[in-house]
Amino acid sequence: MSPPSASQPHGNPQSGLVRFGLAGAILLVLLGGAAFYYTSTLRGGDDASAKALRVTISANACDPNELTVPAGTTLFEIANASDRAVEWEILDGVMVVEERENIAPGFVQSLSAKLKPGDYAITCGLLSNPRGVLHVMPSAAADAEAAAQPTLTAFIGPLAEYKVFLTLKSNAFVKVVGALSDAVKAGNVETAKTLYPASRAAYAEIEPEAARFADLHNSIDGIADYFAQREADPAFTGLHRIEYGLFAQNNVDGLASVADRLVADAATLQQRLKEVKTQPADLAGNAERLASAAASAIVVGEDHYANTDLVAIAANVSSMRKIVGLLGPVAPTGAKDLVANLDADVKALEAKLDALRKGDGFVPYTDASVEARQGLAQGFSTLAEHLGVLNVALGLS
Amino acid sequence: MRADDPEDKGLSTNRRRLLLGLGAAGGLLASSSALAVTATDPASQVADAPESDETQEAQAFHGVHQSGVVTPRPAFGMVASFDVLARDRAGLERLFKTLTSRIAFLMRGGEVPELDPKLPPADSGILGPVVAPNNLTITVSVGASLFDDRFGLAAAKPRTLDRMSAFKNDALNARLCHGDICVQMSSNGADTNMYALRDIIKNLPDLLLLRWQQEGSVPVLPAKPGAHHESARNFLGFRDGSANPDSRDEPEMNRLVWVQPESGEPEWAVGGTYQAVRIIRNFVERWDRTPLREQERIFGRRKATGAPFTGQVESDVPDYSNDPKGEVTALDAHIRLANPRTHAARENLILRRPFNYSNGVASNGQLDQGLLFICYQQDLERGFITVQNLLNGEPLEEYIKPVGGGYFFVLPGVVDDTDYLGRNLLAATASPAT
Amino acid sequence: MKPLLPAAFAVLSLGIASPAMAEVSALDLVQPISDYKLYVSEHLATLVDNTKAFTDAVKAGDIDKAKALFAPTRIDYESIEPIAELFSDLDAAIDSRADDHEQAEKDPGFTGFHRLEYALFAENTTEGVGEFADKLMQDVTDLNSRIADLTFPPNVVVGGAAALMEEVAATKISGEEDRYSHTDLWDFKGNFDGSRKIFELVKPLLTDDADFVAKVDDNFNTVDATLAKYKEGDGYQSYDKLSEDDRRVLAGAVNTLAEDLSTLQGKLGLE
Repeated sequence: MSPPSASQPHGNPQSGLVRFGLAGAILLVLLGGAAFYYTSTLRGGDDASAKALRVTISANACDPNELTVPAGTTLFEIANASDRAVEWEILDGVMVVEERENIAPGFVQSLSAKLKPGDYAITCGLLSNPRGVLHVMPSAAADAEAAAQPTLTAFIGPLAEYKVFLTLKSNAFVKVVGALSDAVKAGNVETAKTLYPASRAAYAEIEPEAARFADLHNSIDGIADYFAQREADPAFTGLHRIEYGLFAQNNVDGLASVADRLVADAATLQQRLKEVKTQPADLAGNAERLASAAASAIVVGEDHYANTDLVAIAANVSSMRKIVGLLGPVAPTGAKDLVANLDADVKALEAKLDALRKGDGFVPYTDASVEARQGLAQGFSTLAEHLGVLNVALGLS
Repeated sequence: MRADDPEDKGLSTNRRRLLLGLGAAGGLLASSSALAVTATDPASQVADAPESDETQEAQAFHGVHQSGVVTPRPAFGMVASFDVLARDRAGLERLFKTLTSRIAFLMRGGEVPELDPKLPPADSGILGPVVAPNNLTITVSVGASLFDDRFGLAAAKPRTLDRMSAFKNDALNARLCHGDICVQMSSNGADTNMYALRDIIKNLPDLLLLRWQQEGSVPVLPAKPGAHHESARNFLGFRDGSANPDSRDEPEMNRLVWVQPESGEPEWAVGGTYQAVRIIRNFVERWDRTPLREQERIFGRRKATGAPFTGQVESDVPDYSNDPKGEVTALDAHIRLANPRTHAARENLILRRPFNYSNGVASNGQLDQGLLFICYQQDLERGFITVQNLLNGEPLEEYIKPVGGGYFFVLPGVVDDTDYLGRNLLAATASPAT
Repeated sequence: MKPLLPAAFAVLSLGIASPAMAEVSALDLVQPISDYKLYVSEHLATLVDNTKAFTDAVKAGDIDKAKALFAPTRIDYESIEPIAELFSDLDAAIDSRADDHEQAEKDPGFTGFHRLEYALFAENTTEGVGEFADKLMQDVTDLNSRIADLTFPPNVVVGGAAALMEEVAATKISGEEDRYSHTDLWDFKGNFDGSRKIFELVKPLLTDDADFVAKVDDNFNTVDATLAKYKEGDGYQSYDKLSEDDRRVLAGAVNTLAEDLSTLQGKLGLE
């Protein structure tokens, strides 16, 4: 497998450093992707009798671009035949139903998705590529299973509590983004730099639910890696675009409109979180999705310019802690050790993060070794697995 | 026992006239088998007394144990608590002896002495000139306060007898608590109990002062020969007393209720038992507005049948073995907390013999009614106190509020005419000089 | 492009035999419950602030200020009572009355708002109650953090509407609650607001039950209008100003509300 050629950002004084960082990042992608591929084939391979549906992602499209599957569980295999790392998502309107992030070029990743009847969109590689269509047809088995759902009364309390949590945390996100925007527009680079990791952390706390809004997720938290023209791409905006300006270019040029857009998006997100009707399966499901995504993205990292990844990762773990806490009481008797596992998984992640602390915060991500990152990735991966198992035990999956 | 035939005694003319000359009106008619319940008799007048052939039922007074503990509970009960006014042991002895003779009479029934009409009558007259026993039992118990320094009884205090202290949900009203001596009456009629109380008060004015008193009753069910007996319901509508130990099972009563020799208790106490009385207010309006399912969940039984959720009838024993998470019978259900049905829990069984009370309207306009809870055990800590501690914090507490009562020790029985209540206690504490 | 709504999630059949129950999806309760927690959190924040001001006044010996702050401080506690009383130890420490204790006003277990009320209004002093003031502040702060961590049980929230009316029926209608200051009508208002809030939050789920909703609203309005007659400034007149007639009107409306609201859990499919 030959390493792909790294495309280069143009015209900035730190391009050399960035290029080195990117090359290193791609190496890490390979390592991270390899680790993830292994674990994901282990999971996907359990279902030996199920035929996997292969989707190949090329530079500009999916092949096939239109899929039809019966309702219930389908095993997808996503082959990345392009030369960029890509993510693959199944979308219900703007809501992410399932996704795989950071599929390395030349790699295949599998994804087992349980789908209800309806029509979905599928993303195909770079965010600018046109989307495909996924038809999910009703099936007798799926209908019967849907009819046999467990009583949902037990989830009312935890879902309400989660809703309150999302409300309070999205209020906090709006607040800190407002402060970040003010600093950026006042030209106050140093202040803005200190507010950046806090803004990312505030988003990370609500990410399990927020990341399901694909449009907002991309415009608030999208990383340059998935844009055709990377940092120069006009669609590259949000927190990481601000990060790039502040940390890579050390100025606020062109950031005023980005800041305005971010503030507007935060308000939209706040409103959507108010209106969203989280389902019981979503408590563990959202956490599982996020943990999976984190597992595949952690080795490469997200805050390429500020290197403050650990702040956001810690906030992700905090949001996992909240969700696991809510699930404990609704787990049936037989699932008590599953809950204990989840608790242990979160504790393990917290311990790994503690090892990377420095002063009041964390070491820069560049100081986090490959082993340390892989350790975190593995930790998230295990957590994702246990969350998936819990949803099955709860009868929700 | 039959009451004495009024025609054979040397009665005054007045009395004879009273008893023989009249018809159905004013009807006290003793020992007539022709007596029937005349409720539907068209000749009876509005103010006529109801009639019953149960008034001659009587319980034995003498015995190793006092009556009124394992005696089957009749429809009406009363607890009256007194302060002892005696100043010395001689006074206490007189108190006990007088109580003994009054109780013997009341439980046997009989003629009331006729006094010179210029004097106050000998009794209240509620039950007429010849008192019928009406299944009356009277049980005398003593409180921890009697064992203070007044009568030299301190060394003989039963081991686990202490002044009742409040549990978390209690709102104890000092005027409804404790007492030196407690007297429990139960009989077929509220008036029989009332008669007994007034008799005791009248006969011991210098030795006893009434402290608090509560009457109660239980609903009477039609007799169903051969059918399984059901526990009477309380004012929450639930059967009260399911899973009571079998009071006819002597070995079981010796294991749970009666103080045994060489058990760590003073010797005089053998044959007695500890008695816990609790006046427990029920917030009935609020209860009646609670969904049935929740009511049943709170208790851990079906309301209509009294059956546990794992059974069909009241007498079925609840089975928690397959229900560790409390999905069938909630872990904090009343019956499950009180008796988790473990092997160890067999030691904490108590014999309950409660009555329902109704005292009119409380100051806030809601009904003042509830449970006059009475239970017996041979060790107060192992019995009531353990069980109540297990119940602390139960969901039922939303609807109940203990406001009074006390802990007492039921004296051993009076074995014969030479014996009297408390004799062993006084003998055990007599100093050589006395 | 949206998938079909899964039929099974949209309607939850509850296995209750009563055909009169409209079917409400359990998940429809998530919004009202979360809104209620946010409501409670707001009131708790106010309670903490007001209790600070009240207890500061007591400790500073400013008896007039303390007396003036007593009732307005309590109103936020009374409006969240169904949740507060889940923590029975704190509820007892904060809100118990003298007759809950064997030794009444002298009982060392008699603490909280009414202990301070006794000192301020019956004994007319701020002497010797500094400890009780501190304890009240501590307990209210404690309650705030315990409630923040609590996942609200849905049946406690929905049942809370009726529970608050039971509170009123048992202690406020008769003037038992604030026997030294006679500020029961303030507490009444707190209970009333709390109950009505819960009802408002679940009203959208009772679309099939227009008569029931109308009857409950009617009774709420009666209570509101009757209480309003006794408004004085930001608060209410002394309980002894309540006329016998109005007391009866309130008792009738409150008892009926308690009866009607006690069916809410069943109507909404909760046990």
